[in-house]
Amino acid sequence: MLFPTIDFGLFFAFSFVLVWGLNPYNTVKKYVLLALSLAFYASWNWRFLLLLLASGAISYVVGLYVDAAAKRRFRRLALGVGVALDLAILGYFKYLDFFIAQALNLAHMFGFDLPLGFVNVTLPVAISFLTFHAISYVVDVYRGRLAASRSPLDILLYVSFFPHLVAGPIVRAHVFLPQLATPPRAGDFSFGENMLLILGGLFKKMVIANYLAVRFVDPVFTDPTQFSRFDLIMAVYAYAVQIYADFSAYTDIAIGVAALLGYHFPQNFNQPYRALGIGDFWRRWHMTLSSWLRDYLYIPLGGNRHGALMTTRNLMITMLLGGLWHGANWTFLIWGAMHGCALVLDHAWRRSAAFARWGSGPIVRVVDWALTFNFVCLTWLFFRSPSLDAATQFIAGVWNDNGAPSTMPAVVLPLIACGALTQIAPSRARAAIGVVLDNRGALAQAAFGFVLLYAIVVMAPPGSAPFIYFQF
Amino acid sequence: MAAPLAKPSTSTSPWAWLRVLYAVLALTVFAFPGGMVDWLDERNASGWLSAPLAFARGVDAASAAVGVKGVGERLRRWFAAAIGDADR
Repeated sequence: MLFPTIDFGLFFAFSFVLVWGLNPYNTVKKYVLLALSLAFYASWNWRFLLLLLASGAISYVVGLYVDAAAKRRFRRLALGVGVALDLAILGYFKYLDFFIAQALNLAHMFGFDLPLGFVNVTLPVAISFLTFHAISYVVDVYRGRLAASRSPLDILLYVSFFPHLVAGPIVRAHVFLPQLATPPRAGDFSFGENMLLILGGLFKKMVIANYLAVRFVDPVFTDPTQFSRFDLIMAVYAYAVQIYADFSAYTDIAIGVAALLGYHFPQNFNQPYRALGIGDFWRRWHMTLSSWLRDYLYIPLGGNRHGALMTTRNLMITMLLGGLWHGANWTFLIWGAMHGCALVLDHAWRRSAAFARWGSGPIVRVVDWALTFNFVCLTWLFFRSPSLDAATQFIAGVWNDNGAPSTMPAVVLPLIACGALTQIAPSRARAAIGVVLDNRGALAQAAFGFVLLYAIVVMAPPGSAPFIYFQF
Repeated sequence: MAAPLAKPSTSTSPWAWLRVLYAVLALTVFAFPGGMVDWLDERNASGWLSAPLAFARGVDAASAAVGVKGVGERLRRWFAAAIGDADR
């Protein structure tokens, strides 16, 4: 059930009535929310419901053990078992075939034949995000940031809550679980701002991302040898806009839907292509993943506490695993390695005497922005390519122009301009318009919402492509 | 000093939100009724959606009769032609 579909529109309209109708009866409402979330997940593949329930059960039991264990040693053991189980589920479904293939290749190189076969399992939707949420809960309990929940219902709802279930944002347990304790109040949320967030997300996905993908990016990346150097370069920039529009659309809609049901989710994007430096980029792009990797991987590895060499090691491990998280493919590992190297250089540059002297000057800032943006676009080339061979072929096409005329559709440039607009528009504009809408009557709000949705339906191509991050 | 204006009920009541959301969805279905008819038709193999499908066809006919459906279709064709999208 994709967000920009009639299926989800009807599902949400039905859920909204149930959730607010049952708001005075908090426990009953949570059971209904859980049932709705399981139904949402089952709409992809009901067989994986067991996986969802197992993940919630592991988190619940491990949380109780971690909380109850008197000695630090036992707490660590319980935590280790919980995290290992979560990672084992992820590893089995997502990485086992990749590692079997690498082992077979390696053995073949040395003239051995290993008796290994591929498991060929279907990758369950949302498995990565499910794992992030489950680990977040048990680690937060271990660190004492959160008391272990005595309610299995709360834990199951936390890992399965349908707005964040499939592609985030990653909501920390200590942020979400307290919200389940008492019924939410509609007055704590801006209806206007959240309606705008959802409609803006629909525009970014249905118009910007879908057109760029179908009309230009997908054909170019499918067979780069057919396209000119200019088209190849433009396809990389178009993909940078497409992936931002696609992924930020999903999380905007998720945040807006959750808010209209009475739950706060954290912000996930903050105009990332304005970033000055790679460190800044990661503070603006997929912010909930960046902070998750920082808090649950980079800092436990030692962070920047043990000198330059260890900081470099920790950054590289974090970014390589961040890359591998996106999928079992060498292209993602290279993408992660490039970002890791850039972060190391970025750290060094920002601690240098040269940066202290010239770093705040306008020319340095412009160069900083241009280098960051173009470097991020270059890394997207590996991220989008289906294989390392395809990425190499793409780069070869840029290096040796085949002389073909450009076939880039005219619509691509306006769509890229729309993407640029989302990066330079004042970040508080949506909240300001939301306040104005909140202070208007229902008629004005309905008219505003209808006009925007009408325009989106007029412009959108037929059908709805899945969100890019569904595969992760 | 004058007391601050009370927020209108639309900003604090989920039932007022509901009216707005349902109005937006209903207006959109009326403006583009074909999508809902197709959606119901695809899922009506066993006939269990016959009643809502008949209602959606009624909405489709009403929308066409007052010209709203035609405006939406023309705008979609115009936009598709403007951006060179021959598939629509």
